[in-house]
Amino acid sequence: MPTLLSDDQRRLLVDLLRAAFPHDTFPMGPYERAAQAVVDAAAANPRLQAQLLQGLDDLDRQREVPFSRLDPDIAAVVLRGIADTPFFTGIVDVAVVALYDDHEVWDVLGYEGASYDKGGYIDRGFNDLDWLPDPRIESYGDDSRQEASA
Amino acid sequence: MTRFDYDDSDVVVIVGSGAGGGTLAHELCRRGFKTVVLEAGPHLTGEDYHNDEWAAFGQMAWTDPRTTSGSWAIADDFPNLPAWIVKAVGGTTTHWAGACPRFKSHEFAARTTYGDIEGADLLDWPITLSELEPYYDQAEIKMGVTHRHGRPPLPANNNYKVFANGADKLGYRDYSTGPYATNAEPYDGRPASIQDGFNFQGDKHGSKWSTLVAELPKAEATGNLDLRPDSQAVQILHGPDGRATGVLYVDRNGTLRRQRAAVVSVAGNSIETARLLLLSASTRFPDGMANSSGQVGRNYMRHTTGTVWGQFDKPVRMYRGETMAGVIADESRLDTGRGFVGGYYMQTIALGPAFFAKFVAPGSWGPKLAEIVDGYLNTAGMWIVGEDMPQGTNRITLSDTVDEHGIPVANVHFDDHPNDVAMRRHGQQQGAAVYKAVGAHRTIETPPYPSTHNLGTCRMSQRPGDGVVDRFGRAHDVPNLFVTDGSVFTTGAAANPTLTIVALATRQADFIASDFRTGRN
Repeated sequence: MPTLLSDDQRRLLVDLLRAAFPHDTFPMGPYERAAQAVVDAAAANPRLQAQLLQGLDDLDRQREVPFSRLDPDIAAVVLRGIADTPFFTGIVDVAVVALYDDHEVWDVLGYEGASYDKGGYIDRGFNDLDWLPDPRIESYGDDSRQEASA
Repeated sequence: MTRFDYDDSDVVVIVGSGAGGGTLAHELCRRGFKTVVLEAGPHLTGEDYHNDEWAAFGQMAWTDPRTTSGSWAIADDFPNLPAWIVKAVGGTTTHWAGACPRFKSHEFAARTTYGDIEGADLLDWPITLSELEPYYDQAEIKMGVTHRHGRPPLPANNNYKVFANGADKLGYRDYSTGPYATNAEPYDGRPASIQDGFNFQGDKHGSKWSTLVAELPKAEATGNLDLRPDSQAVQILHGPDGRATGVLYVDRNGTLRRQRAAVVSVAGNSIETARLLLLSASTRFPDGMANSSGQVGRNYMRHTTGTVWGQFDKPVRMYRGETMAGVIADESRLDTGRGFVGGYYMQTIALGPAFFAKFVAPGSWGPKLAEIVDGYLNTAGMWIVGEDMPQGTNRITLSDTVDEHGIPVANVHFDDHPNDVAMRRHGQQQGAAVYKAVGAHRTIETPPYPSTHNLGTCRMSQRPGDGVVDRFGRAHDVPNLFVTDGSVFTTGAAANPTLTIVALATRQADFIASDFRTGRN
């Protein structure tokens, strides 16, 4: 099923996601891909697509100016007002997964992803935290405790 | 590959290949029993697994429909995913974390120890710790549990360093990196952990014990194992004398098959085990097989759980290394002075950004979620797991919803008991205190995930009217029908259940091989 969303509506969806998941450090790419994931999900789900078509149009009519031109604080108020609608929860359900599963987002957050092909982290910092002392690893009272904590 | 005839009525049929079923299969095969294992899921192996949370979830998790009811948060947050368990050969041992505490003595006598708790249906187990101790030893040796029988501990990873330092500052003493059934050094033909950080996604390296990499290959080597993946059991059949005669299942082609059997074991994890017995209703067993007590499906338990995250000014990188490799056991003690009965453990946990964002505050969005996720690198995590109260009304029933074969799915009904709520609150307060003791500038409390510990529903009892199975896991009503998973837990205890499931399955195999086979029972 092809999408019925217009290009303007798709751009509005991206802006909605930037307002809903506001990270100063994230580039545009992950938001655009998360919006695409919502569009793709809607393409397979007529109910979600219907919600999107109507909901995005409604979103632009919430204030005097279009949603994309709202001050971020006002945009957040608008989203809180529609937070419990199937339109908004349907978007969040898909977007929260797509956005934070985006590898560009992982780079920004400092997550390294798949490690097995690199030999795991055994020689790549699984224990490199240096701002606390090395704790004992044996149970309290074990004979080996002295050795382990030495 | 061994293959037994569908009409071979000498075989033992085991439904499920996880901790209980896989262990029983190995123990029976090595004693010469012809054993057929029906596994609903596919035969995935290390090469198949993804170092990627969502891809792995889609590949491994039991995502067939289920329904939920009750006041638990899961019914709102994840209404069709009450449990996070695996549908594949090896069952949920292929994604478990590996924590292996034993039950404490008093936890086998919860009714006697805790007394009459209003709203709870406590019952003492018909067995004691001393009866199970030899089997705990066997299970720990079988699984290569760290800190036990000479197995060395896992090293401290970054998440553990924060956790253990916080525990120490708070005055806890009983913290360590184990016991976990993951090799710190090579053992039993399996390599040492390379700390790849993916446990819940299937262990590609095979360092962690699972029935996939340990019990089932050993069973297969005997020539007595006929392992059938993609085989969904739909009914246990019985004869005019009420004895089980075989199992009907749908194979990978959608064909209904009948495997005859001398003995049937159900080991499908608590939800599916109860569902299969309820589906096996007949004229003789109108309320479901082995259900003259009305107890099948009741007293479903899921452990009292919750997660606490601490965020710091400096990096933690919790995702590096074993997902779970640290325990604080101080709160697992018997001490009703804390405002609740039962105890709990704190255990390190780590999630990647996608699961972290999805689960940290289900359904949430906005600047607060963004701030929390922005702190991902500097986040440490722990999971609380403690004893929850059995309640007869917490229950698996057959739903109006049907699966792809047109068979009713399980409905999972759960209400928290006030004791569960008090324990969770205490655990999350203590968890936050652990992190604050080492400088956390923010702590976050996450509600329970879809259940990973699914217990009860076919509880073990001395009296047939109080439960479904006897002290060996044999159905009170059907002499050649056994239950071999966490369903048989009379009460849940605080400990992660797998070690106890393996110990009970090993003990059950002894019973089947000796007393049962020689006809003394």
